[in-house]
Amino acid sequence: MVTPDLSVSLGGLRVKNPVMSASGTFGYGVEFTPFYDISRLGAVVVKGLSLAPTPGNPPGRIVETAAGMLNAIGLQNIGVERFVGDVVPRLEDAGATFVANIYGKTLEEYEAVARRLSEVPSLGAIEVNASCPNVREGGMAFGATTGGIAQLTERVRRCTGKTLWVKLSPNVTDIASIAKAAEGSGADAVSLINTIVGMAVDHRTRRPELSNVTGGLSGPAIKPVALRMVWEAAKAVRIPVIGVGGIQNAADALEFLLVGASAVQVGTANFRNPRACVDILVGIEAFFREQRIARLEEYRGGLQREKIP
Amino acid sequence: MPFNRPRFVTGRILRNEGRGEIFYRIEATIPEPVRFVPGQFAMVSGWPGNDPLLPRPLAVFRAGGTRGKGKVEFVYKVVGRGTALLSGLHPGETLSITLPLGRGFDLDREGRTYWLVGGGVGFSSVFPAAVVLGRRRAAFEMFLGARTREHLPPREWTPGGKTPGTIHFCTEDGTAGFHGRVTDAVLERLRRLSPESASRMTILACGPREMLREIAAAAAERSVSAQVALENHMACGFGVCWGCVVSLWDGDRTAYRRVCREGPVFDAREVVW
Ligand SMILES: Cc1cc2nc3c(=O)[nH]c(=O)nc-3n(C[C@H](O)[C@H](O)[C@H](O)COP(=O)(O)OP(=O)(O)OC[C@H]3O[C@@H](n4cnc5c(N)ncnc54)[C@H](O)[C@@H]3O)c2cc1C
Ligand SMILES: Cc1cc2nc3c(=O)[nH]c(=O)nc-3n(C[C@H](O)[C@H](O)[C@H](O)COP(=O)(O)O)c2cc1C
Ligand code: FES
Repeated sequence: MVTPDLSVSLGGLRVKNPVMSASGTFGYGVEFTPFYDISRLGAVVVKGLSLAPTPGNPPGRIVETAAGMLNAIGLQNIGVERFVGDVVPRLEDAGATFVANIYGKTLEEYEAVARRLSEVPSLGAIEVNASCPNVREGGMAFGATTGGIAQLTERVRRCTGKTLWVKLSPNVTDIASIAKAAEGSGADAVSLINTIVGMAVDHRTRRPELSNVTGGLSGPAIKPVALRMVWEAAKAVRIPVIGVGGIQNAADALEFLLVGASAVQVGTANFRNPRACVDILVGIEAFFREQRIARLEEYRGGLQREKIP
Repeated sequence: MPFNRPRFVTGRILRNEGRGEIFYRIEATIPEPVRFVPGQFAMVSGWPGNDPLLPRPLAVFRAGGTRGKGKVEFVYKVVGRGTALLSGLHPGETLSITLPLGRGFDLDREGRTYWLVGGGVGFSSVFPAAVVLGRRRAAFEMFLGARTREHLPPREWTPGGKTPGTIHFCTEDGTAGFHGRVTDAVLERLRRLSPESASRMTILACGPREMLREIAAAAAERSVSAQVALENHMACGFGVCWGCVVSLWDGDRTAYRRVCREGPVFDAREVVW
């Protein structure tokens, strides 16, 4: 059988397959070149970028939890200038399709980062991390309300011609209305979910495990929540939905495609298996061959509700 | 071909032996031989399923083999769930290993005398340095400490009589060697060191943070250079999650550096103790 066509359009950016890395778990992408050819991925999504380099939170940043982990990295990164100057040429050399994840503490900072990145011709898309706390709104995340997400999307939309993805926080009451608000304000696609806010403490030392006290939960533990939210969002919007959360293997990725995701991002799985993304890609191809599925579109969103007779 | 850049490989366990329930030594075959710098480490997992989720950092204890057939060995202490699961694995079962990782000890300086200091299971990252120095016929002494005799590394694991180095065992309860902490043994020797010996001396140390801190302070006082191997919780081990940072001096300011990438071995003077 011929190789299945896995290409898919993600709101203006056409990728050759639906497997991407998740921001913050893949460094700047080039760190993975010893493990495999990163140009094989649909896209490489890099660590969240801010306007200036950011030191991040004090140590005590990660803790393992049941089938998952909490992180409070505090978005440490090299800043957009060094990314453009030092990293972009290396990603270009690697032949990778790459996407920049961005964040800011204010709307103006988001805009400035987006503007700078718009000048990079090889950049595939901008993904806006909406989970960041808005310092002017008492630290509530931009993405916590429909009003907040609409304002953020609109403002970034106005300063870039790049394909714009908005990455949604799961720490909301109704993900469908949040997704709709992003769509209505100019997002070309939405990606979800970011980490779920959690906490771990030590009953003997009576201390929190993380210096920040709370952190973001990721890994297999969050997959059912992510799957449900992706399913709800995919029903609510017409723009592509990118599924993220707890994906460890090809079966997990296929489940997200089945409930309506156009593509997936793989995060925490990269830590245990640096080849996770490419292993998942190979697994999806093998499954489509076995099932004689010629194109991704034949499978995507095909969740059957009636019982197997 | 031997490799020295990080690779993700599947290992097949050859043996996994417990020693007095304290240390385990696990040996596995890997597809190709790995070349590593003493102090470099690997991220190791092997248990099935997603819980525990993350691989565990272990210093590369020994590596060898020939083309098409490599071998790697780790020494570990059972302290929690991951290492307990590791200790239950049998020959023939597989390990997932990413290696070699991080920056190891700098042994490339000519004409120096080395003291290798290992506290507890910290010997696992200084032994490989002893092997390299021994092969080079460089002068070194090794100080190994434990709470009690049974917690010292077995003699047959040490690099052996052929290497020129001397080994000083220390036990806190006095059941073997120097009676006291390895830190005290080193501090005492440091005090007696002549200034010109001090200027030719490099200490390589791995162990509990308190031990490293005291040795770093004493070494600085005597102008002895010291390299310390730090530990921290890790998710990836190869520099992509920024989970493992520690505070280091950067001029008169401090900056967060990754133990897995810029370390685990740091110049003791750089560390913000
Ligand atoms: C660079 C490096 C080299 C190491 N080399 C060795 C070695 O050669 N032999 C050896 O016995 N031990 C070594 N350690 C320590 C070893 O990684 C921990 O003992 C081990 O991760 C504990 O896992 P656990 O599941 O048994 O314990 P748990 O306490 O159940 O682990 C829970 C979580 O905390 C982490 N963790 C707990 N203690 C440590 C620690 N001291 N350092 C880092 N992470 C920790 C675990 O990785 C895991 O994510 C090394 C650590 C580092 C950073
Ligand atoms: C260590 C770490 C750092 C992360 N940093 C970012 C980030 O900078 N920007 C962002 O949008 N998401 C970030 N995330 C969230 C992931 O991209 C992803 O949405 C989440 O981890 C769920 O996917 P997973 O279970 O596959 O990891 C981070 C996650 C982890 C574990
Ligand atoms: S453990 Fe991930 S950066 Fe060090």
